[in-house]
This record gives sequence, C-alpha cells and structure tokens, in this order.
Amino acid sequence: MPLYAFLVVQSVNALSQAALLFFLGVGLTLIFGIMRIVNFAHGAFYMLGAFIGYSAVRLTGSFWLALALAPLAVGVVGALFEFGILRRLYRRDESAFLMVTFGLALVMTELIRLGWGPEALQVAPPPVFSGIVMLMDEPFPTYRLFLAGAGIVVALAIWQFLERTRLGLLIRATSQNAEMVHALGTDVNLVRSTVFGIGCGLAGVGGVFAAPLVTASIGMSATMIIDAFVIVIIGGMGSFPGSLLGAVLVAFVQVFGEYYLPDLALALMYLIMLAVLVFRPGGLLGKEA
Amino acid sequence: MKQYTGVTRRRVAQLALTGSAGLLLPWVRRGSAAEPIKIGAPLALTGPLGSVGQQLKRGCELWIKTQNSKGGLLGREIKLLLEDTGGNPADAVRKAQEMVERDGCNIFTGITLSSEALAVVPKLDEWNAIFISSDNGDGRLTAESFVPNFFRANISAPMGARAVSLFLRSAEFKNFYAIGMDYAWGRNSVAVFESEMKAAKKNFVGSVFSPIGTKDFSTYITKIRQSGADACFVTMAGDDYNAFLSQAGQYRLPEKVQLLSEVIDLTVPRAVGDAAVGLISSMRYCFRFDNPKNKEFVALWSKEYGTVPDNNEGEQWQALQILAAGVEKAKSTETKGLRDALETVEIDDIKGHVAIRKCDHQAVQSGQVVKLAKAEGFDYPVPQIIATFPGDKTAPACKKMTYED
Repeated sequence: MPLYAFLVVQSVNALSQAALLFFLGVGLTLIFGIMRIVNFAHGAFYMLGAFIGYSAVRLTGSFWLALALAPLAVGVVGALFEFGILRRLYRRDESAFLMVTFGLALVMTELIRLGWGPEALQVAPPPVFSGIVMLMDEPFPTYRLFLAGAGIVVALAIWQFLERTRLGLLIRATSQNAEMVHALGTDVNLVRSTVFGIGCGLAGVGGVFAAPLVTASIGMSATMIIDAFVIVIIGGMGSFPGSLLGAVLVAFVQVFGEYYLPDLALALMYLIMLAVLVFRPGGLLGKEA
Repeated sequence: MKQYTGVTRRRVAQLALTGSAGLLLPWVRRGSAAEPIKIGAPLALTGPLGSVGQQLKRGCELWIKTQNSKGGLLGREIKLLLEDTGGNPADAVRKAQEMVERDGCNIFTGITLSSEALAVVPKLDEWNAIFISSDNGDGRLTAESFVPNFFRANISAPMGARAVSLFLRSAEFKNFYAIGMDYAWGRNSVAVFESEMKAAKKNFVGSVFSPIGTKDFSTYITKIRQSGADACFVTMAGDDYNAFLSQAGQYRLPEKVQLLSEVIDLTVPRAVGDAAVGLISSMRYCFRFDNPKNKEFVALWSKEYGTVPDNNEGEQWQALQILAAGVEKAKSTETKGLRDALETVEIDDIKGHVAIRKCDHQAVQSGQVVKLAKAEGFDYPVPQIIATFPGDKTAPACKKMTYED
C-alpha cells in the first residue's frame, strides 16, 4: 500500500474512533461546565446505552430505532439521578460528587450484570452499513465511515444547539454565571437536570455506536472512560470545542502511535496530557489558559 | 499521666478475652471431625477477562454442588470461598492471603490470569497451601517459576500453541504473523508459536502486542494485512478477543488471512456471531469430546445452566476432579500429604486420560484442534474437532516451555 493510501485509511480510522471518544467527552465536558462536577458514572451510562441498544435491536429489529430509544432512556436515567440525588449535594464540597457518581458507576455495572448477564452480547451494524467499500484498494467497513460522518454531524448539531437555541444560550449562561441566570428568573435546577440528561444521553449514543465494534460488554467502558477524561483534560474542562479537539488528537495519536510505536502507544496519550497540564493547565481551549 | 488514659480496665479485660479466644481456637478447630474442606477461588470476576472468571466460578459451583450431594470428600462437606480480584495480581495475592489467614484455607484453584498466578505462586510455601491451576497458560509456571505446591491441571499456552503448530505442519499456509494481548500469557504463547513455526521451517513474518483493554483494533488489522501473512496466530481472550474478531470480520480480514488461535471460549462466537466462522483454534476443553464421562457431564451441565459447558468450565471441572482424586488418595487435605498424592494422580474423566507428572506438576493430556462452523441446533458458530494429538506430543519436556523438534 502506498504511503498516502495508508495515511488516508488510517485517518478515516482515527476519525471513526474520534467520533466515539467525542460522544463520551462532550457529555463529560458539558456536565462539568454547568455543574463543576466530574461525572465518574459517565462510563456506566455509555455501557448502559450499549445494553439498552442491544435489547432495543432485539425487540424492534432496527438499529436506527435503538439509536433513538437507547440514548433517550439513558438520558432519562441520568436526569432522574440528577434530580433525585445530585441535587441534594450541591451545597457539599466536590468530594461528595466524586463518591456518589463513583458509587453510581458500581451500582449500575452490577445492575447491568444482573439484568443482561455477564457475557458479551452481539449488536450487528445496521444492514446498510454492514458492507465494505474499497478505500485505496483496501476493503474498509462502511460502518466506520458512517461513524466518522455521524461524529461530524453530531458535533455540528451540538454546536448549533449551543449557539442558536434558547436552551443552548441558557446552558452557556449558566456555565458562566449560574447565580446571575437564576436572578434573571430562570430555573437553574431545571437547566442542570437537562444538561445532565443530555450529557448522559450522548454517552448512550456513544454506547450504541460502539456496540457493533466491541460488543455490549461489562468491560466496554473501562478504558474508554479513561480516554474520555484525558481528552477533556487536553481540550479543557467545560470547553465544547476543546472536547472535539481533544477527541481528534487522542484518536490520531492512538491510531498512528499503535502503528509506528506500538510499545509506546499507551504512553503517548498520557505524555500529551502531561505536556498540556504543565504548559496549559486549563487545557488547550480551556478558560484558565 | 495523660498518655495512659487510653488503657482502661475494661480494655485490658477485652484484650485478655480475645487473646485467650485466639489461643483456644486452633484446639476447637481440631476437635471437630467434620470441618468442611475449604477451596479458595480468588477469581477475576470483573475486568476485561471477567467472562473467563465467571466460567471458572460456574465450574467450581456445579462441581461442589454435585460432590456435596454425593457426600462431599472424605465425608466432609466442601465449601467454596469466592472473591473477585478484578484481574489485578496484587489483589489476587491479597485476597488469597486473606483466605489463608481468615479462613484457614490451604487449597486454591481458579486464579484467572497468568499474571495473577505468577504473583501468587511465590507465596504458596509461606502459606503452606496448594494451588491447582484450572486456567493459567503461562509456560513459566511449570518451568522457571515452578514451585512444589503448584499443579497445573489445564492445558498450558505452550501446549495449546503446540497443538496448533503440529496441525499447521501439514497445512498449506506458509507465512505467519502473530498478535497477542500484551501481558504474560499473550507474550508467552506468541513466543512458543514463533519458535514452533521456525522449527517447522515456516516463514514467521512478525508479531504485535495490543494492551489489555484495547477497543480499536483497526491499526493492528492493518498491520496483519500488510505483513503479507496468509495466516495469523491470535492469543486473546475476553472483551479484547470479541472486539478483535468483530472488527477483523468487518474489515474482511478472514477472507485474506486464516485466523488461528491458541484457545477459544464459546463466549466468543456467541458474542461475535459469524465473524468467528472458519477460525481454527486449539481448545482446552470442548463439549464435543466423545466419551461417556463427558456426555454425562454435558447433560448435567445443560440441566443446571441450560447451555453446553464452555472451555474453562470443563477445565475447572477437570481440575477439581484431579484435586478430589488427590484428596482421596492422601485421605487428608493436609498440604504435604496432598502434594505427595497429587504428584502421581491419574484420572479418566471428561477429557479422557489425564496424568499429573511428578517432575513439573503439569497434567499430561491430549490436545485438540477445532474449527468453528455453523451447526444445527446452535444460533452461533460451534467448534468441530479437526485434529487430536496425544499428550506426549503436546506436553513440553519437563520444566521446559519450548520444544526440541
């Protein structure tokens, strides 16, 4: 394979991975931006998306319906959790959130194990995207092309949502000065529940998208959530474009790092994070920088 | 005299009481004749290899239930001590140590990852405990890391890799590549396969290792494709294996490269479906073994769990059958006597004839190669046995993990 062909193929691979990472990272960063809390249960919501997606595909026979239903269900679970539990903790210090969301991750993992069993479950890609295209004379799964495209579409949609809609405006305002928004007559609590729900729903989207690649399994979130934290730190906590940049950067470093420096592939990502923390502690596009 | 206020008369009395209770306890224990036999299983029930740990758990549970319904062992009830290690070697050591100190356990089985087993074996002498492996593949456990209290009932990584390579000697493939999970077992298995291919004058073009928990295998698949190999040896398990096979199928890799593997669980074809069709692998235990003991076992298993027993479930069963034979021979569970008895145990069980050899405590047993294919009555591809090699061909020389010929 000539070099440019290799670069094209690997770049599309990296973009498809960036899309998955972005769905996780953007939810984390939105939640952090509004609530100043790190949601340790984010990986569990991602996993829940995959398992509900599996059941939805089994019940409806349609990947697309699953893609609509699962994130919705995950979002509702997330919003209810915020409403029922997190809301009581806003006056406490941040460690309370760490403990509670971490505990939720453990509880959700066990509930998923009880509900769906310990074995990995197959979710097939939708029939339209289960074939291959010849990309530079190499077979390339259309599902990965679709993932890369979906990542771009969702990123644009979130950007437009934040910039153009009233709710988006409220979210941005709340992340800058919650008290002022409250004083102007907006129910900040409602904004928080909504954002938490949206963030978790986006993790659910990621879970459904990832299931055909890695199967729906109890361990599926373990390494993904660490990657998501890394991209949020690289991009800047609370920054939407930062999470996009972080996801693309990490995905490219992983895909090309694994190829050229397989023994260092894991370390590279953390080295970048380290460099960012040293030179731009707020993240590449973060506020404190 | 402020510093003495912590010690009250009541506290002294408490200490004296607990102290004397501690002194009395060993005597009380010895006094009861029907003290249950405790089998410690610090399993990786969660983590990337959690599905393997879950199999070992079911194997232990059904065996103990069956054995207890027949009156236990030496007339004593058998009790399972179960803990989750998450696949972490430090946790495996800690949980095993707790079982020794808290429960007086001196028999272990089911430790899931080779990295965990390698961390546990140096402690066995200090704990005065026996460990019968049902799952650990790393060849070093019966070679350079061998300790007298360790026994391996299962087929090791070198033995599995050997069965596949014996099969490949007469196959048409010429150029081989290998991919393994980047830890003890993956590295060991690939190394054995590489030396086997070189000994067989086949062209071994290279290998790559993916970190445990890898989610995206696109780069590795590209590497395999670019290597020019017509067959690739895969040493993976659990979530990583499922992800690799799913994605390899999506890239149509099996159309160009025959995938080979050292070991496979049924959980893999169940999770990836058609992507596993055509895979050639060694299998440590296969529910299709054709002997009366196995038919009985498969029927018992299906009745209990509603599915056929899987690779590690059969291995766990066999390990406990070997343990039982040792205990009955020694007429005791005391460590030294049990060790001496186990050294020469032979059984005819679900995998046919299995004999522990004294020199390195490896159970010598025949090796099988299977190919996954669709079959009636199953909604996932199932293994079909395509070759069987006797134990003297698959077991390495004593305390070795490579082969001379």
